[in-house]
Amino acid sequence: MQTQESTVTFSALKGVDAAKLEKELTAMWGASSGESADDPAVGVTRACVLNLIVYAEGQEERAEVDALLEVVVQRHPCRALLVVADRGAEEAKLEAFISTRCQLTSRGAKKICGEQITIAAAGSAVVDSAATAVAPLLVPDVPIFLWWKDIPHYEDKLFDRLSELADRVVIDSASFDNPHFDLTRLAQILGERSESGSISDLNWGRLTSWRSLVASFWDVSDYRASLSKIESVRVEYDPPDRAPGEIAPKALLAVGWLATCLGWEIEGADAAAGEEEQRRFTLRAGERSLEVVLQPTEDVAGRDGMITSLTIRAEGGDEFHVALRPEENKLETGAKVGGGQHEVSRVLGYEARSEGQRLSSELEILTRDVLYEKAVAFAARLLGTIKE
Amino acid sequence: MQTAENVVENPLRAGMRLERTAEPCAVVIFGASGDLAKRKLIPALYRLVQERLLPAEFAIIGLGRTAMTDDEYRDRMKASVLEFSESKQIDEEVWQSFAQGMKFLPSNIENAECYQALAKMLEEVERERGTQGNRLFYLSVAPEFYAEAVRQLGAAGLTKSEKGWVRVIIEKPFGTDLESARQLNQGILQHLDEKQIYRIDHYLGKETVQNLLVFRFANGIFEPMWNRQYIDHVQITNAETVGVEGRGGYYEKSGVVRDMIQNHVFQVLSLVAMEPPAALNAESVRDEKIKAMHAARAFTPERVHTDCIRGQYGAGAIGGKPVPGYREENGVAPDSATETYAMVTMRFDNWRWSGVPFYIRSGKRLSKRVTEIAIQFKQAPHQLFGTAMEHITPNQLIIRVQPDEGITMRVAAKVPGQVTRIRDVNMDFRYGASFGVQLAEAYERLILDCILGDSTLYARKDMTERGWELVMPILEEWGASKAEADFPNYEAGSWGPEASFNLLEAEGRKWRRT
Repeated sequence: MQTQESTVTFSALKGVDAAKLEKELTAMWGASSGESADDPAVGVTRACVLNLIVYAEGQEERAEVDALLEVVVQRHPCRALLVVADRGAEEAKLEAFISTRCQLTSRGAKKICGEQITIAAAGSAVVDSAATAVAPLLVPDVPIFLWWKDIPHYEDKLFDRLSELADRVVIDSASFDNPHFDLTRLAQILGERSESGSISDLNWGRLTSWRSLVASFWDVSDYRASLSKIESVRVEYDPPDRAPGEIAPKALLAVGWLATCLGWEIEGADAAAGEEEQRRFTLRAGERSLEVVLQPTEDVAGRDGMITSLTIRAEGGDEFHVALRPEENKLETGAKVGGGQHEVSRVLGYEARSEGQRLSSELEILTRDVLYEKAVAFAARLLGTIKE
Repeated sequence: MQTAENVVENPLRAGMRLERTAEPCAVVIFGASGDLAKRKLIPALYRLVQERLLPAEFAIIGLGRTAMTDDEYRDRMKASVLEFSESKQIDEEVWQSFAQGMKFLPSNIENAECYQALAKMLEEVERERGTQGNRLFYLSVAPEFYAEAVRQLGAAGLTKSEKGWVRVIIEKPFGTDLESARQLNQGILQHLDEKQIYRIDHYLGKETVQNLLVFRFANGIFEPMWNRQYIDHVQITNAETVGVEGRGGYYEKSGVVRDMIQNHVFQVLSLVAMEPPAALNAESVRDEKIKAMHAARAFTPERVHTDCIRGQYGAGAIGGKPVPGYREENGVAPDSATETYAMVTMRFDNWRWSGVPFYIRSGKRLSKRVTEIAIQFKQAPHQLFGTAMEHITPNQLIIRVQPDEGITMRVAAKVPGQVTRIRDVNMDFRYGASFGVQLAEAYERLILDCILGDSTLYARKDMTERGWELVMPILEEWGASKAEADFPNYEAGSWGPEASFNLLEAEGRKWRRT
């Protein structure tokens, strides 16, 4: 797939005139079509399946987002509205740029194009004007996503206004500076916002393949009895880069997911026990107690907060595990049941997906993910038991 | 999506996002070193492994005449994945892990002892791999062995499993005429329940064909127009550029009506013509499909003459490359009367479609490879724009099944300027454009459906027989009048016999230029 890009800078010192921008875009599309008017097979198809508002801070993040949108547009031709904020600037400023992103089909025939409007806001214009500049530029009748490429500033007016426009807000709990606080705050926000709009978490998306592999153990009817006899869950994770002393949000979400699906409740935490930095929690499943151990591994560059293994042990020595061999991009899964009489293991490929691919997957989901919300709520309750 | 039952049984399947993954099972492939297994089945199964949609508790037992060890079989299958899979790549460790569960049993399909050996091997595999007694038999062998394989499976007690399920996938062609299809159905139903039988039609595994249901029944705007009030006629084109590709001997006994129309094209046709099903489950959908096909008017000898056209290609050129005529192909009689092209006009006697002809054409060595459904709407009732409308065709909705899966709506629009000039413009929806994803191979989807017990995209007994019932008068009439065929009557690389254009023209219509 090939991407072509053209950009027109559109100065808008007195604010962004949506009608003028649309006119410029139409002219740009006309020019693209004109290039191949003699050969209709090489024309362009202007496609828009959604609006994607992206918030980025500073030029560095802007460049990252630009690169990432190339991947997203391949899967979701859309109108991307990129808000680049320079909050520290003294002078209030608002500028807009338009560009089209085209991909050639594999046969090099028709180009499929989406479009991008970049709004660069500086100083007080970030909060005062950016959201009102975005609103009239949204393509009607297709879903609106807001990807907030930063820790959500729930109290921030711009976040508030943009998220009000959106059908769904995409965040990334892996980017939390202070995971314990931020996750607890997120749980609170999810509780408050549950009726108005939904939140999507790239980190929850990252957990999907793990959840799927863990769940698949109990697709086997012979193993199902062990589900109600679980004695311990051990999750090992790489420490989060931004807060190495805290539990990686992904590990907490994994426990939150298991607890939600299996109806576990919290009995207590034993924060100080065991090995260094290890956290132990006691949960209750009906009449039985079970132990959850969250264990950071050695910090390895490039694994930022990833789960490296998840092991579930049940009565009678039954054991189920999924482990990552990151250096080889492989996943191992194994089940040992009947006191070791039956053992099955296998190796699977682990395709590390790019952030662009992850974001693309989030853009396919429009409905509220109640299971995610419950998993976050459980993770927050678990964190609440830790006595620092 | 996981089924509701699955969620109840496995609470970790609750919620969204988790892809449906296959249940534990052993897949037994009859004809394991054959062409289909090498080109499609094993690459599809490996792709499912790559996508992590198969469980660890999974095994494959290959059955074939050629004697070879498990390792030799694994090596052959590995080579076929490398040659025939889309990526042409293999992850060595993942393959080894998958291949561990792969065994080969040299066997003769007609020999009862082989089934005893198979039963033993299945028990062994179930013990070792934990496949939970679930068994899928895939009959990828010559059609004359379908009934025999099922009979032998039944005799060896393999059509029932004490613990799990037993399902059988039967490849095409399903019979060579109505009588043989009925016999085959009778034969296999002596040993299996209809619910255990999965008659594969890989057309139904194609994304656009599945999208037909979504397109018709998830959009509020089309269904009200999907009838005789608004639709003038429907054209279904199933064109191939290839010839018989060395299968002249087989094709001589078959022809395009047997090979394509009575199965693939009729499946697509029934999805276009059916009424909305009460629910999206296998029985409801297939009930409506068969109901529509029962409303299809039977072909009398007169109708065969007035509503059907047969053709056979002569020498010509495809994409500038000269190609021989059908009669010059290997294994084909020099005076062959086998049709390589057929046009069939279907008429439905029901409230929805009364008076709306469905023109179907299918053929080999045609100008372009394309399968599409074109719904032509009626002309606007009043010609308000007079001569400006002269070159305008009525609205069309085109559903492309292959290649470039997608949907196009053709509407009239004013050409900008002082004078009112009107032109047709296409509004295009292409899968590749709106969902930039690689579409799954039909076999991946269908095998996964079968393992999950979903037979919606498989042909039911009544549908296979109804397909034959409808085409038999055509085959009989054409068989009886071979001398009148006047073959070859179209050039390779053209759009078929002139007569098919004339037939539409006589009804005031013309074939869409695809």
